[in-house]
Amino acid sequence: MSSPSFQPARVEIKDVRKEFGTKVALNGVSLVVEPGTFTVLLGPSGSGKTTLLRCLAGIEQPSSGEITIGQQMVFGPGRFVSPDKRDLSMVFQDYALWPHMTVRKNIAFPLVGSSLSKPDRTRRVDNLLERVGISALADRYPNELSGGEQQRVALARALSARVGLVLFDEPLSNLDTDRRDQLRIEIATLTRDAGVTAVYITHDQSEAFALADRVGVLRQGELVQYTRPEKIYRHPKSAFVARFTGVAGEFAVTNVREISEKRVTVQLPFAPHMFIEATKSENSPYDKDPHLFVRASAVTLHPATSTEGAPGVIRDVAYNGRGYEHVVEVGEKATLTKVYSVDRFDRGDCVKVMLDPVSCFVMNAQEEA
Amino acid sequence: MTTSTLTHNSLSRLRRIPWSGLVVWVVLLLLIIIPVMTFIAVAVSPRLFHQGSSYFTLSNISAALQGYTGRGIVDSLWVSTLVGVFAVTFATAIAWIVQRTNIYGRRIWSGAMWLLLLVPTWMTTLGWTDVVAPGELGSALGVHTLFFYHMFYGASGIVFVLTTAALPFSYFVISVGMRGLGSEFEDAARVHGGGRMLTVRTVLPIIAPALLSAFAISFAEAMSDFGVAFTLGSSAHFPIATYTLFNSIYAFPANFPVAAVIAAVLILSTVPPVFLQARVMRGRSYAVLSGRTRSVRRHQFRPWTRVGITATVGLFMFFVLGLPLIGAITSSFTNTASFMTSTGIHWTLQSYKNVFQPLPSFTTLGPPLWTSNQLGLWVASATLILAYVLARRMASRTPGIGQRITDVFLLGSIAIPGIVLGVGYIFFYDQHFITSHVVDLYETMPLLIMGLIASAVPSQARLLTGPVGQIQSSLNEAARVHGATKWRAFHSTSLPLLSRALVWAWLLTFTKTISELAIAQILYQPGHEPASVVIETYLGTIWASIGAAATVITLLEMVGVIGVVLLIFRLVMPKGWRRIGEAGVSS
Repeated sequence: MSSPSFQPARVEIKDVRKEFGTKVALNGVSLVVEPGTFTVLLGPSGSGKTTLLRCLAGIEQPSSGEITIGQQMVFGPGRFVSPDKRDLSMVFQDYALWPHMTVRKNIAFPLVGSSLSKPDRTRRVDNLLERVGISALADRYPNELSGGEQQRVALARALSARVGLVLFDEPLSNLDTDRRDQLRIEIATLTRDAGVTAVYITHDQSEAFALADRVGVLRQGELVQYTRPEKIYRHPKSAFVARFTGVAGEFAVTNVREISEKRVTVQLPFAPHMFIEATKSENSPYDKDPHLFVRASAVTLHPATSTEGAPGVIRDVAYNGRGYEHVVEVGEKATLTKVYSVDRFDRGDCVKVMLDPVSCFVMNAQEEA
Repeated sequence: MTTSTLTHNSLSRLRRIPWSGLVVWVVLLLLIIIPVMTFIAVAVSPRLFHQGSSYFTLSNISAALQGYTGRGIVDSLWVSTLVGVFAVTFATAIAWIVQRTNIYGRRIWSGAMWLLLLVPTWMTTLGWTDVVAPGELGSALGVHTLFFYHMFYGASGIVFVLTTAALPFSYFVISVGMRGLGSEFEDAARVHGGGRMLTVRTVLPIIAPALLSAFAISFAEAMSDFGVAFTLGSSAHFPIATYTLFNSIYAFPANFPVAAVIAAVLILSTVPPVFLQARVMRGRSYAVLSGRTRSVRRHQFRPWTRVGITATVGLFMFFVLGLPLIGAITSSFTNTASFMTSTGIHWTLQSYKNVFQPLPSFTTLGPPLWTSNQLGLWVASATLILAYVLARRMASRTPGIGQRITDVFLLGSIAIPGIVLGVGYIFFYDQHFITSHVVDLYETMPLLIMGLIASAVPSQARLLTGPVGQIQSSLNEAARVHGATKWRAFHSTSLPLLSRALVWAWLLTFTKTISELAIAQILYQPGHEPASVVIETYLGTIWASIGAAATVITLLEMVGVIGVVLLIFRLVMPKGWRRIGEAGVSS
């Protein structure tokens, strides 16, 4: 399984479709993962991201399409390569550590049958144990470890075989926030240090943006956008992508006027006297029910005495360590959430809200079917 | 269309055929479905098998549902329902005490349940008779047992013995459910103001599928039991279906069509409990065994309560297991028709001598016991493989129609009495076109082995479904994606996790095969009688004490085999394998 001449794998998924009975889990997904990159597939429950990952692993067999890992077509017409011959490894959501094996044996499992000598295997396992910081736990059994320790074992096991592709199935979803942040950094650094190609699935957009070289957003079995995280944040392809990757507020707008190739002005119902500048979406039209999607980073708060900005009232404030996150009411049933400010505005304070057009997008709220 | 496209299409079509499912169903067809259906077909088409004049008639159905046979069916239904309720009630209480409290001797009580599982119902009946019958052990100890004797020789005795037989099945199914039930559910109920009773009422529905499973399997076991029907039912003049079926076949002239109707009723009677269980199980998964499994926290009784609870469980186990065993053992040390004679009690080893130096017209136990062991070896090994394959299908996370049919079919098959299987085998495998054109298995050892496998597979498959279903599928998937072939993934992950369950399943089948009576009696190869058939020849005679001695020897031999196998398991298996089954990493 482990190859001495290890190379990060290029992954190509072409028009993959998977049906479970009458339910379509994947509907013609195509994407290319470049060698040595970290790709995160992001989507809500039922979007098909787990199915896609399992099809890559060979645990599920697609109904049609093609999958190529490295030089090998692992699925295609008349062809299905079993998981053990795909030269990949995987970190499972529930870690999938074998309860009858010690930590050391779990990590050494992918090396059995490799061309490595026994001392080399032991050295590699010791090295991995040290890198993930669990050397002292080598002879323990999985049920004697904490969740974070178990996750480290799963990560070490995935990296032990030095395969070209490592898959991650929501590996942080069972951990508390502190451990999640810590392990997220470890996954990012260890995977990149190993030089492998990584495909990671999650429903957490902050996790996706923190880890990914490229993010693929899935919805109802379709890949709706696949690009760099910055581009997804700044140029969401659709209202769904904008919403799923986090907006502070979403408002119906009127009088949309194009002022340049990339910009428009709009009027908000709760601030009819103001023309708000916003970015046109590159791919999504705004001709039917135009809405303004506001990223949290677009909003700045100013005292009520400021001459510019739309008026608002602070409804909630929360300290987050670096500053304050506010909920601001800007009109009837219209609020902006997660509005960051280094200064604290108290509940009930009147403020002025200013929006940065770069992080405000105008798109139809309802997407074309 | 090009040749390569054609080849590709043919390959794709071949690949889409569920070969493993197909093979399983072919085996089930030959082992159970065809022989049993052939027999049942006699009910409506007696002429097809030279059992009457009509190619199609419903008259046998109305005949079977009336009179003596009709009463047998009704008795069987209510007795089995009661047995199911009692078995689940007692098993739940004992499972909770043993699995979730600090009772003394947890291993002893679990071991006692296994021992109870090994004891055939005819032996329990024999043991109790040797305790409560006038002039037997109870009388010798000065206890007035006449009241109990009359109670025992009636419906209450039948319900009692069948409950003790069904108890271990329920216990093991419910124990699995309890082990997967984290104590946080109980804690949550308690911290939200629930009293003890409210907590129990809140938590019990969580293990409702296990309870219903236990009820279904206990009900089916009671419906199919032949040992009690043959011994207690006939003596107590309380007809139950398996005995009326037996009577229909061995009466003169034999009435196979009516027997076939009774067989059909026995099988159909399991549909409602299975249906109920399937409804409750819908969408639920009992996968709890993984690397993340945590130890269950046990309820800590205060010292005196702990002693009291231990004594209560001990007394209960003595009552259901110890007393009948003592009855049978004491009886084996006498050489008279009853334990106590007018001249007192005469202890002797004569019965044990007679086991190996038989009286005229009786057979020595040695060669039959060896035959039984050989049968046990073959049947247990083959059953284990087939039951594991079936259990895997049934434990599927996304059960399709095939799995559901298998599930219902297997539970229905548990209710197929051995005698129905035996007669079914004679019917089918003695058909002219089989013996002439396929294979002549009539009165051969392979046919007996097949019959015993057919009888063992349904219950073993269902028992294994619990442990198999508990293993998270990701454990096997992890092995596969980390380079393990299917075989390596099985022997390095599934096999170790299931090793304890598989060893016990093998032992259970082995011992049940040795004690099996109905199929052995019908299908044994002349000159190669198994031990149970030889023992049975003594039980109905004044030499019952020799039968008791032979039973004790057979039981000791079975316990010896269990001991040796478990010792080998302990010595040979890696530490990690043996850990599975201990607290926190249980299967």
